[in-house]
Amino acid sequence: MLSERELERYDRQIMIFGTEGQEKLKGSKVAVVGVGGLGSPVAYYLAAAGVGTILLIDEQTPELSNLNRQILHWEEDIGKNPKPLSAKWKLERFNSDIKIETFVGRLTEENVDEVLDGVDVIVDCLDNFETRFLLDDYAHRKGVPLVHGAVEGTFGQVTTIVPGVTKSLREIFPNAGKKEGKFPILGATAGAVASIQVLEAIKLLTGLGEPLLNRFLIVDLAFNTFDVVDLR
Amino acid sequence: MRIKLRYFARYRSLVGKGEEELEVPDGITVRELIDILRERHPVLKNEVFAEDDDLADVNVSRNGRYVRFDEMLEDGDVVALFPPVSGG
Repeated sequence: MLSERELERYDRQIMIFGTEGQEKLKGSKVAVVGVGGLGSPVAYYLAAAGVGTILLIDEQTPELSNLNRQILHWEEDIGKNPKPLSAKWKLERFNSDIKIETFVGRLTEENVDEVLDGVDVIVDCLDNFETRFLLDDYAHRKGVPLVHGAVEGTFGQVTTIVPGVTKSLREIFPNAGKKEGKFPILGATAGAVASIQVLEAIKLLTGLGEPLLNRFLIVDLAFNTFDVVDLR
Repeated sequence: MRIKLRYFARYRSLVGKGEEELEVPDGITVRELIDILRERHPVLKNEVFAEDDDLADVNVSRNGRYVRFDEMLEDGDVVALFPPVSGG
């Protein structure tokens, strides 16, 4: 049941998906894997929407050069507070009606089942395909939807993986190699792509609209292009 | 036959334009088209498509649908090339 305070807080979005939709968000747990450029706005908007439990996963600590895009981390967090804890501190003050859980560490084949246990939707905010494929495998093993997002420069891509319904990430990117290291990125690009990822999660949880199932959204914000590629 | 190419993300920056039309031999496959593009735009050959000369890192759609490299192209097709970006 929603409290009076929640009914008021979420009034404008209850106009979209009703109290039933809001209750579904409240009863849901969403994992944000990677609390960086995508993960910061993803976690922020999930918290704003009233998703009942948000699990933040990351092993890093913020650096000064992260702050152009990782908006949940502030100057005082640099070199000090691991990203999930830094984000948790702000999100709890932003919305005290929700629960923020954290895992400070890297997801591995050994710990993924335990760490993601009970999660309804996974949001991929990672910066490498190695760990993405780990999430992809978990999603298929457990039947949990996975919202994929990635950015570079002014470019971004989003698609939603639903086991048994859509292609897997491994099928979409059979050749994605290891490409770690420094990539160009503008905070606003991450914000735009992250917002689309949050909408995907909310669509999955409330039944609103049509998620990007077997459809691959590619945007180039420098050139104003939004394309949806059919993956079937 | 004539096809229209669209370049996304860093392909666009490397080629220097978002799209172009190209005259290609009838009935070529996506893989053959990519070979043609590597000749036409050496910058793609050297920096993007391949390490070890295979088709490492390119995703291709044909008329808005994701395709495999062995699919055959037809006159008037719109072919889009996009890299799997990995940043977060």
